[in-house]
This record gives sequence, C-alpha cells and structure tokens, in this order.
Amino acid sequence: MKTTWKDIAPVPTHQEFLDIVLSRTQRQLPTQIRAGFKISRIRFYTRKVKYTQETFGEKFQHILDGFPRLQDIHPFKDLMNTLYDADHFRIALGQVSTAKHLIETVSRDYVRLIKYAQSLFQCKQLKRAALGRMATITRRLKDPLVYLEQVRQHLGRLPSIDPNTRTLLICGYPNVGKSSFLRNITRADVDVQPYAFTTKSLFVGHFDYKYLRFQAIDTPGILDHPLEEMNTIEMQSITAVAHLRSAILYFMDLSEQCGYSVGDQIKLFHSIKPLFANKIVFIVVNKIDVRRPEDLEPEYQEQLQEILKAEDVELLQASCTTTEGVSAVKNAACDKLLAERVSQKLKSGSSAATPGSRLGDVLSRIHVAQPMGGVRETFIPEGVKDLKKYDKNDPNRRRLERDIEEENGGAGVYNFDMQRDYTLGNEEWNHDKIPEVWKGKNIYDFVDPDIESKLAALEEEEEKLEADGYYESDESVEDVEDADNRLKADLIREKRVLLRNEAKMRKSLKNRAAIPRSAKAKKLSEMTRGLDSAGYDNGAAGSRARAANPPRGRTTIREPTADPDAMDVDDNPHKALARAKSRARSTPATDRRHDGVTTFSNRDKAERMAKLGQKKMNRMARAGEADRHTTASLAKHLFSGKRGMGKTDRR
Amino acid sequence: MAVRAQFENSNEVGVFSCLTNAYAIVAVGASENFYSVFESELQDVIPICHATIAGTRIVGRLIVGNRKGLLVPTTTTDQELQHLRNTLPAEVKIQRIEERLSALGNVICCNDHVAIVHPDLERETEEIIADVLGVEVFRQTVADNVLTGSYMALSNQGGIVHPKTSIRDQDELSSLLQVPLVAGSVNRGSPVVGAGMVVNDWLAITGLDTTATELSVVESVFRLGEMAPGGAGGAAVNKDSIVESFY
Repeated sequence: MKTTWKDIAPVPTHQEFLDIVLSRTQRQLPTQIRAGFKISRIRFYTRKVKYTQETFGEKFQHILDGFPRLQDIHPFKDLMNTLYDADHFRIALGQVSTAKHLIETVSRDYVRLIKYAQSLFQCKQLKRAALGRMATITRRLKDPLVYLEQVRQHLGRLPSIDPNTRTLLICGYPNVGKSSFLRNITRADVDVQPYAFTTKSLFVGHFDYKYLRFQAIDTPGILDHPLEEMNTIEMQSITAVAHLRSAILYFMDLSEQCGYSVGDQIKLFHSIKPLFANKIVFIVVNKIDVRRPEDLEPEYQEQLQEILKAEDVELLQASCTTTEGVSAVKNAACDKLLAERVSQKLKSGSSAATPGSRLGDVLSRIHVAQPMGGVRETFIPEGVKDLKKYDKNDPNRRRLERDIEEENGGAGVYNFDMQRDYTLGNEEWNHDKIPEVWKGKNIYDFVDPDIESKLAALEEEEEKLEADGYYESDESVEDVEDADNRLKADLIREKRVLLRNEAKMRKSLKNRAAIPRSAKAKKLSEMTRGLDSAGYDNGAAGSRARAANPPRGRTTIREPTADPDAMDVDDNPHKALARAKSRARSTPATDRRHDGVTTFSNRDKAERMAKLGQKKMNRMARAGEADRHTTASLAKHLFSGKRGMGKTDRR
Repeated sequence: MAVRAQFENSNEVGVFSCLTNAYAIVAVGASENFYSVFESELQDVIPICHATIAGTRIVGRLIVGNRKGLLVPTTTTDQELQHLRNTLPAEVKIQRIEERLSALGNVICCNDHVAIVHPDLERETEEIIADVLGVEVFRQTVADNVLTGSYMALSNQGGIVHPKTSIRDQDELSSLLQVPLVAGSVNRGSPVVGAGMVVNDWLAITGLDTTATELSVVESVFRLGEMAPGGAGGAAVNKDSIVESFY
C-alpha cells in the first residue's frame, strides 16, 4: 500500500487550467480554412470541440487518479479526515468528476449540432459556444481546485509513516518531553521548545535496535477534554494512537514543569485508555532528574500503582536532559514490541513446523541442531597451531607453488613437478626414469622377478660364444648370379615406378574438364598414325574420313583436268571473269540472320519482334540500347518564344 | 579459519578438491593459484596432492576420504592410483571400489567417525567404506536429496546441510552424526554445500562468491578461527530479529 503521496501532480488553478487546455487545442489543431471550402471540409470544427473535451477529460482524470481514495488508505483515513475534512475532500473530487461529465455532455451536443450547420459562420459560432460552455464549467471549479492544490501540498509534506512496521508511538500532555525523547533516540531533527504545542503535526524518526529498523512517531500533545472539543492538532495524535499498530509510550512529567498536574495527566491516561486496546502500553516518567516517582505524593503514587496493576502497563523512567534511562526505555519498549510481534507471527503461522511454509523456512535456517551425546573427537595436527599465518607481503613468506610458477614463466608455460612430493623413502626414486605405466600397460605387471639371474645367464652364454670364436668367421660373399638377379630386379622395379608415374601424369586432369573420349575431336592424322602403328591399312578409312569432311573454302589444289599435259585454256569465260575479279570481302559461310529459324513464318515473326524492340530506342532517339546520352535540359522559356528586352544574355 | 577461493572462475571448490584431516587432494588446473590457496594454509602440515581421477578435474566429486582412508571410483586409472599411493602418507589406505554410483564424493559424506551415504549404494561398498574409512555407515537422505555428499559438508566438529532441510531432519541427522548441524548455503545462496566448499577440523575453503554472512555461519558451525573453542567470537544471533525481518 502507498504510504506517501509525494508524487501527486500539481493541480492548476481554473485560469491556468483553461489556458493549458485551450492553448493546446489551438496548437494541436490550427485553423486552416479558406473561403469557398466545401461544407464537409468546414466541419473540422467538430474535431476541435472533441479534442478540447478530450483534453479536459484527460486533465480531470489525472487529478482524480492522483489523489488517494480515502477508503483505500485505511490507517490514514482518519488522519486525512482530521487534516483535510473527508467530506470536503470527497466533495471537491466529486465536483471535478462532475465537471468532467458535464464537459463530455456539452461536447456531445455541440458535435451533433455542428453536423447540421450550413455555413462556415455557423460552424464557427457553434464551436465558440461549445468551448465557452466548457470554460464556464471549469470556471465554476475555482474553489475545489484551489483546495485540492493545498491538500496536495500538505500531503506531500506528511511524514512517511509505515503502518505495518515496528512502531513506537510517543504521546502525552503537551510539553512533557515527547519531542526531546524522539530527538534522543533517533536522528530526527524535531523542534524542541519550552512551550506547549511546539509539535503541531506527526513527526517520524527511525532507529536501529537488534539489527532491525524501528520507527518512532512523535505526536502533538493532547489535552484532557472530550473528543468533540479537540482541535486538529490534538486529533492527529488521537488518530495516530487509535489506528497504528504500535507500542505506546505515554509520557508523564511528575515534576509538573509542563504546567499540568500529575492528577490531570493520570486522568488523561484514563480518558484515552480505550484507544490502547490490544496495544503494548508503557508509562514513561520523564524528567526524573527533577523528580522521581518515589518522591511522588502518596495519593498520586497510589493512582499510578493502580494503573500499573489494573492494566498491563509497565512503568519506565527517563530523563531526556541527562539522557539517563533513555536507552533503557527504548530497549524495554522495543523488546516487548518485538516479542509481541514475533509471538503473533509464530501463532498466525500455524504451519511453522511444515518445511514448505515461509516461516518454516526461516526457522529451519536459524535452527542449530545439537546432538544429544558428547562431542566428536577432532584430529587437528600440532603443526596447525604454530603455523604462521601466510602473508603475501612478508618477504620471508612460505614459498608456494605459485611463486615457483611465476619464476618459471607463469601459467601455461610452467609445468609443475607431480613427482616432487612423493614419499617413497628415497628422494632419488621420485624422478625414476622408467615410467610406471607405458602405453596403457602397467609396467609392474610385466616385471619378471628373476630378470637379474636370467640376464646373468644370457651374458654368460654370450661370453662363452665369443670365447669359442663363434663371431670370428666371415662368410659374407655374394655370388655373381645373385648380383645379376638383383640388378635386373632393380631395373624392373624402376621401370614399373616410371610407368606408374607416367600413367598418373596422364590421368591427372590438371584443372581441365573431364571429356569423354568419344566426344573428343581427334585429328585424322592421329587416326591414321594409330592405325599404322597397330598394323592396319589406313588408306580406305582415311579417304572415307576425308570425303566425309571436305575442307571449307577454296581448294588449294588445282582441279584435275582430263589431260594433265594440256595447256591452260579459259574454257568458261564467266568463270574466268569471276576468278579474275578480286573479292572485296569474304562472305561468311553462314548467314546468321537466318540461322536458327526453321520456317519463313518464324523468320517473319523474329523480324517483327526485332522491329518492336527497336521501337522505343527510335522514339527516344537513341542510337542503341546502350545510348544513355542526356542533353542539357533547359527551361522552356529559355529556348522558345520571342526574345524580349534584355533576355539575350540569359540564354 | 575459513578462506574463499576459486578454481578457474568456478566457485564450486568442493568439486575440484578434497580436504581431510590428513591430506588434501587438488585438481590439476591451468595455473597453480588454486593449489597455492591450499598450500598457504596447509603447507608442511598435511600433504597436498595434485591429482586427476579418470583424467578429469572433478576430483572432489569422484573421491571421498577421511583421515584414515581414501576411496576412489572404478574409473580411476592405475597410474592415477599409483600417483596417489606415492604421494599420500602410508597410513592412509587407498582403495578403488567397483560401484555403479561412481561419483563417490556425491553419494558419500563422511568425517572421521561416521558416514552418511546414498540409500542405493551397494552392500559391499558399504562394507568397504566401513573398513577403509573406519566409520559407521548410515543410509540417509538430506532434505529428500539422495546425494548426501553434494548437499552436506561435514567435519568432526559440525556440519552444514541443504538450506531447505526441515528442523526434524536436521535433528535426526545431528543425532546420527553426533555433531551440531545447521541448514545453510554457500556461494551466494547455492544449496549444494558439499560441492561448494571443503572443510576439515581447522580449515574451510569456500567459493569466492560466499557472502560474509554465509562465511560466518560456516565458521561458527565448524568452529573455525574465532569461533573455535576458546576463540573470541560466538555472539548469539538474535532469533527474534531474524524472524521479524525475514517473515
């Protein structure tokens, strides 16, 4: 629940309100109209009316939402009632709400009217009337708005009282030392003056006790008279006492320096006693440096004892000037309050024992399970006690593995010595060269216990052989046949390797496409050579191949004549003429225009398409598809019409 | 004495090391920083051994041991076993056991007198534990978790169990173990206390993330440093304040 209202937006006065709303309408919806606009276009005035109404509504709603609703703020309800008069507050908010509704109605009506307007003038007048009525309604809110602004300012300055936390509430007659007590136990800077009603409203201070945050509330002094006669200042105290769940410290001044007799103070206690129901109450006797309860007149003493006996009330003593007993009072009150709250919590959390509940969780975590029997024996080596605490900055500190690592190149470079700390009985054995495990086999599994004797036997045998001259004879002579065979075998092997390499070279593609042999063009000469080498006659096959593929162009040999010895005679004059003329240009063997089109109709079609494709280029006066030329563009008057005076040089 | 440490940016100290009253076993890491934390506290007091188990660094979860013995899982290679035998003192019995639940550190939690084990552990394993470690063996769960080794940190002077352990379970375990127990966490609220810290009778090493509050709980329940018998600390925590502020 919200307990502070510091963030309510300021409430403008009615005049400011109007300025805000109307200027916003003006700014957001500027009038753009010309003579001769159609009537449907003129009716944008409806938007103005609607927009104004929406702005009003939004602003009013903001005010309504900003203020707390009295029924929602339980313990503060009465305080608010005391301070601001609940009825007044409610009426003010009600008026704002009513104004909002009225403005909505006005807007609805006028929007409807504007729909039937016939002219610009009518529309404009209707809009004026609508805004005027809205302004009138707002103007009537003058007083509520001023009141709400005052309430807002006051609310913002109220102390932030948390109604659910641990609270000590300090009350009593005026001038008995309530505020000075608050000053003593908290850091709250409360005004303390030697006259009554220095404190005119509630003040809150905070302090810590047993790692917990407590709030102490200082209330204005209360006089002993009926509730109806109490003023606002006193009523604040009364509401605080009545509504806050707290420990109440009723302050008394036995020295009567406050100006009220002890009898009066006891009477006040009795008269506000009904408010203390279900609360922890302490009577705090203040100013004990002046007068202690023991020095009290017997009759008052008796009355005081009666209170202590009859009610569940404790008597505490303090002096705020000498600070004697102040913290004792605080501690006693806090302890009792804490115990009360905890016992209530434990009672309400009936499922404390169940592990799932929140309280169960808390309790199980602060529980120390102690065993029934004795303590287990511990095994702490003696060395621990005289072990010097390791200090990084000590020059004679113990050398750690980390220091060694740093000296040898740091992490990632240094490899620690795993075998350094072996306890094998002999330091030299630590770094034995023979590994314990080799290639996944435990060497010890293969160790032959008799290896020494076996080795000795072998060595003996060896010596014997040597002594016998076994190694003396030299029989390593190769015969000729073997050498020849080896030579041949070497040659064969070499040849085989060469062949293999060649084949590999042939087969390797070297970044070329793999073309099937049938698709490869082969020269005629290759074929004939191939046939030749294979021992076939290539004459017939060669001539057939030549006949199938006659060479293109002019033959390079003369036409064979009937008689090779005959004279060259021009028998065909046309042919001779044609041969005599040099050709201007070679004609291609194929006509690419007509290649690829099978029929005449297709060719016509292709030509038509080609012309069509040309059309746009022609129209745009382009030389071809790639022509992107842009001529300088000139404004029309620059290259057309008659020239006027002095236009020549502008061209 | 309680120390905070980190193994290569991991706070799970109990995963990468194993600490007993007679020796400490530390995983082989990229640098010697973690090893040196142990060294600075234990050098020349008890042997500290670099080790891998089955080629992994999670030695703390795979092995379990106390002053008298050390149990390693079946996955341990001959070489690793030989290395452990060579390094640890001769009084410490080392035994490789054939157990289906091979992360022994997770399923067994022991001090020098008593062991709390996973309920599904084999009968033979239980006997081996009793023989090699010289402890009484109880099959128990911690806060309904069967992984007793993960959720419990135990020394001869005290123990921490999973933070959600109910009061009844704590009392039951405490009466079995004959040591004081509290429910607590390490490493900023991690419930795996067994894996998050290692402890023996005079030293606890927790993850670097452990809060001061957690560390003070560790020190007081294991009676380390100031909290040790005869130490200066030991102010009673106020139960009322805790109930009031947390509930």
